[in-house]
Amino acid sequence: GSMKAASICSSDQAGCHFLSLANLFDRVIQHSARMHGISNDLHSEFELYFLPSKNQIGRVNRNCHTSTILTPNGKEYAQRIAREELTEVILKLLVAWRDPLWHFHQNMAQQLTFSHFSSNKSLEMSDMVHELQKGVQKVAEKMQTLGIISNSLGNLGSPKALLASDGAEWRLMNDYDLLYCFRRDSNKIQNYLKILKCRTVPEHGC
Amino acid sequence: MRTRSCLVMLCVLSAVGVCSSTSALGVPYIRDCRSPEKETFSCWWEPGYDGGLPTQYRLYYQKEKESFKECPDYVSAGENSCYFNKIHTSFWVEYTLRVEAINALGNSSSVFEIPDVMIYVKPDPPVNVTVLVNSTGPTPYLQIKWRPPPNVDTKSGWATIKFELRHKRNDSDNWETFNLDSREYLNLYNIEPGALYMIQVRCMLDGGSWSDWTKTTFAKMPDIEKPLWILVFAFCLIPLLATICILALKREMLKQWVLPPVPGPKIRGVDVQLLKSGRTEDFAVALIGNVNFPMKMVPVDQVEEYLLVSDSKEWLLADPYTSEKKKDPMVISAGLHLESEIQRGEPSPGQNAWDKAGDRKDEEERFESNVSQSERNLLNMEPMEKPGCPSVDQAAFTNATQSLAHSSYVDIQQPENSWEAGPTPTDYSRVNEVNGEAIVILNSKNVSDGSDVQRQEGSGEVSAPDDYSRVKEVNSDVVFLQKHESVDSCGKKKEERCTGWTNQKPTMPRELERSKGPCSEMIGNGYVDSAPAFTVQLPVQV
Repeated sequence: GSMKAASICSSDQAGCHFLSLANLFDRVIQHSARMHGISNDLHSEFELYFLPSKNQIGRVNRNCHTSTILTPNGKEYAQRIAREELTEVILKLLVAWRDPLWHFHQNMAQQLTFSHFSSNKSLEMSDMVHELQKGVQKVAEKMQTLGIISNSLGNLGSPKALLASDGAEWRLMNDYDLLYCFRRDSNKIQNYLKILKCRTVPEHGC
Repeated sequence: MRTRSCLVMLCVLSAVGVCSSTSALGVPYIRDCRSPEKETFSCWWEPGYDGGLPTQYRLYYQKEKESFKECPDYVSAGENSCYFNKIHTSFWVEYTLRVEAINALGNSSSVFEIPDVMIYVKPDPPVNVTVLVNSTGPTPYLQIKWRPPPNVDTKSGWATIKFELRHKRNDSDNWETFNLDSREYLNLYNIEPGALYMIQVRCMLDGGSWSDWTKTTFAKMPDIEKPLWILVFAFCLIPLLATICILALKREMLKQWVLPPVPGPKIRGVDVQLLKSGRTEDFAVALIGNVNFPMKMVPVDQVEEYLLVSDSKEWLLADPYTSEKKKDPMVISAGLHLESEIQRGEPSPGQNAWDKAGDRKDEEERFESNVSQSERNLLNMEPMEKPGCPSVDQAAFTNATQSLAHSSYVDIQQPENSWEAGPTPTDYSRVNEVNGEAIVILNSKNVSDGSDVQRQEGSGEVSAPDDYSRVKEVNSDVVFLQKHESVDSCGKKKEERCTGWTNQKPTMPRELERSKGPCSEMIGNGYVDSAPAFTVQLPVQV
């Protein structure tokens, strides 16, 4: 979809709002694509330097801390669930990864095994998750304003949501698993946002 | 002995062969999986050694931590395959696949792990690749279009497709590749006419693997139209030929323009054509030009180096330069007048100061007074018949008067009655003074007086001063003097005189017109035909 600058329209208010919503969607989708790219790079680097063999037994039961979050695993499911639910899933994922990535970066900075380039990537990744969460929250608010979704979304900054992310499960993960899990989740976020956009503002580049 | 060992060997070998045939069934293994549209996926296995016996193969899969299930579709993807439709396909989910082989020999199986089906996403190649040659516009170009594979859903946002195009000339080895994102067309401009091009397109979904390239599409560029070239050639050639012809025809002119001729000598003021027409006075004028020779103050004694001829003895005795008496004017022509002239011409050495510019004004005033005098004289003049002398032509005088008005000449016309006998010095003037710019003419009054004196003195003979140069014209700068060829009583020789408008003969005007010679063109020319020192040299004749 083409990136159009959000302009303040005076005449067709509804059209103007939808245009700005599509613009918001484009920006968060771009952001999520970049985030996924960085996580993919970091995972490949880690795999190259630290894992001698790829097909390890036991890898099958990898335990990501976000496994408890129910997420649609295909196009059909993503299209079938409600927009509110889809938005909520995205936000849950983003919130769940804020702290783990921050701590991961802290470990990276201290360890000298990783290159400076990788350390910068982990910091960027950590920042991006934070920015993307704020962006998606804005999208949700706008959708609520436009009446596209109901207000049942609630505030994901609530202590309840934070508790979910504050669980100790993610501390049990080693670095490699963490990177693997995040790569998968960032891909989910990117795809969910695209589906959500085309379900909400399909005339703007779908 | 040898044959026995050979037989034993043979038995052993055959036993080994039998044993191997009854060994375990070969292990099948999954060689590849693929999701063509990011919604379904398929896997294919390779069967192991089956001993030639009919073997059954089964595939089981496990999603995440669920129980194993058997493959839902063994057929759709071909032989030794398992096809997972949309319902059975989950992304971001680990799959564990197990394939089993069963036959009379036994069974064997292997396990295959899929961490994420996403890594097996590989679309089909694009379809409907069309190449058009667009010849409208200044340069032809290739218009290439294609469509994504039909099984990919690009509208839902789930699958974002990207394209790549490459092309090369048929005889070249290097492909040129373009990354096009989700565009489904491309215009190729940098193509050579007449060449054959190969074009291929491929696509990718969301960061998975690239598809295979499409089958090569060939496109032949048209040659540049020949008639156009002929026209272009003709348009260029015709002006070129024309230019060459013109240059060849005008090569003389060209040569002159390129190498201009060396200019010949040229004297300013000299017109070659005029010279050729043959007027020597023009030539002289041209050579000397408008140069106003500085009229030196000619010493009076030089000017007046006349040979006086006189009958009177008294005259002979006297020193003409020092005598102050007015002599008997019974002198032929110049004599008396000259004397008086001389007398008057040299009153004091101070007259030399007339050279100075300051006196010029006086001289001019004198001129004017002379003019007025002479005018009066002319007007008063009556045509008189003189023996052998031409009578004064009143008309001529009128003309002369008119001319007088226009030029600041002075030509004193002696009144007829001033001359009692003999040729009258009708048209002469006395050069009083010559300086650089003007010739001071004797006051006509003086002349008249002189003539009166003559009368008074009773001399009858006052002949025309044929020896004088006649002042033809006096303009602001120079006085024209007539040069007489002979001294004569007013006879036919007068014809020869450069008679100007001042002459008396009625035919004078005609003569004027007809007269050729050094004088006729004097009017308007500023020269005096004399040496630079402006010495009036009169032929002395008796």
